Amino acid sequence: MRGRGLHLLAAAALTWGAGGFAARNFRSPFPPPSEMRVPAAGATGDMLALALGARRLFSDVWFIRLMQYYGTVEVHDDKEPQARGAAEPAGHEGHHHEHGEFGTGNYPEFFSRARHVLEVDHSFVAAGLYGAASLAFNMQRAGEAEELLRYGLRYSPREWKYLSVLAAIGYSKADNPAAVAQAIAPLLKDPDCPVMLKQQAAFLNKKQGNYALAAAIYADILATSHDEAYVNNARKQLELLSRHEIPPK
Amino acid sequence: MNIIYLIRAVAFNSFFESVRNRFFTLFAVFAFTAVYASLLAGVMAVDQEARVLADFGLALIELTALAYALFSASSALLKEAETKTIYLVFSRPVPRWAYLAGKLAGALLTAALMLIVMGGIHLSLLAFRDFGLPDCYAWALAGTFLKLAVIISFAFFVSLFSTSAVSTLVISSVMWTLGHFAAETRFLAEQAPGLKGAAFKILLWLIPNLQIFNARDSAGAACALGPAVFFSAAAWVAASYLAALWMLSRKEF
Repeated sequence: MRGRGLHLLAAAALTWGAGGFAARNFRSPFPPPSEMRVPAAGATGDMLALALGARRLFSDVWFIRLMQYYGTVEVHDDKEPQARGAAEPAGHEGHHHEHGEFGTGNYPEFFSRARHVLEVDHSFVAAGLYGAASLAFNMQRAGEAEELLRYGLRYSPREWKYLSVLAAIGYSKADNPAAVAQAIAPLLKDPDCPVMLKQQAAFLNKKQGNYALAAAIYADILATSHDEAYVNNARKQLELLSRHEIPPK
Repeated sequence: MNIIYLIRAVAFNSFFESVRNRFFTLFAVFAFTAVYASLLAGVMAVDQEARVLADFGLALIELTALAYALFSASSALLKEAETKTIYLVFSRPVPRWAYLAGKLAGALLTAALMLIVMGGIHLSLLAFRDFGLPDCYAWALAGTFLKLAVIISFAFFVSLFSTSAVSTLVISSVMWTLGHFAAETRFLAEQAPGLKGAAFKILLWLIPNLQIFNARDSAGAACALGPAVFFSAAAWVAASYLAALWMLSRKEF
């Protein structure tokens, strides 16, 4: 009985080893933990993300927190709050909110929070695009937007959507709105395309007199987005375009 | 043929016992509530609602099935020993290996049923919100089942030498956590010099790498589970089974 028992134990050890041998070539596609720059109060969440094998879930949570952060009224030294919203991109024809321009603001942690979403799950392309587009086109922080996209490209080198936005940012810096619109165009029908990028494209097309194209993009925002602010603005812009009234610059 | 009949009888007995257990109902209710609550998180994600709903649902399905499977696996053999049912079984011509195989098969069947039921609830909720089938959904559930199979069989082994169901639960949960850290352990092994690195490499052989089953966290084509993944799962399940059989063969019943 004892001999048989030892045989069983040896067989168990060998079989366990065979399992490990078959799995030895597996390499995690995710960024290593050394790259995780945890924002304040996020260590527990990241630990859980790794311990439960739930990186996607926790990157979703970080993305929701990023949107909440960006959607929160920012209070500056002069106590004048600024809010994010969905009118035309800031710095252009600019819908002016009672408390300041929509989409603008400092949001000093925005870049680190957006990067953290990709550190947890680099395949969350929509979050990378959202972060980069917000930084580049709403907050005029093209440098940080490019850094975010380059980080995304390090782990998703074939991601053409990152390359498109990178090109759009480059053209934007060169003050070439037509090229920006052209660079964004292939992204517009993609489900990962963030709504503010669609809005940017619509605005640029409208600015260049491509009203039909602008209207089509606004109609797409109206049909596909769940973001109330963007939807309301798209409805308003469509109304203006249908009456051939262009909002004042 | 007789042996197959025996294994099947033990497996179905174990399966129906699990399904009749009031805890099973409790877990089912919890799963439904949790998956339903994930709708809220989905709404908060605005344009990423579909992704968030899919991710929350799959993670909750896995955790709920894990909780019940571990609870069930850690107490199955202990309960039979405490109620002396096991003596009754072994007084008949039932080999220990067939009994253990049947018990394990019953636990795996229960886990599969839970995944199917909760997956159905989850997909219904997604359909209710007008979202289609998420990418890699079947692979994600298959990966979860393989993970559960590895940890359930491990829990069976642990339950045969641990003093209580709670300690089995704790040890198996630690193994589950370590299994998900395997990729990070490999990273540390490659970075750490000398003895430390060697210790990490040994650890990698002792811990089942549960990340290889994690299709839930993978994207695109990477979510498909290859033959090596199925082989690893089968090997780890078989190893735990053999070790449990070794423990069982040493017990006096």
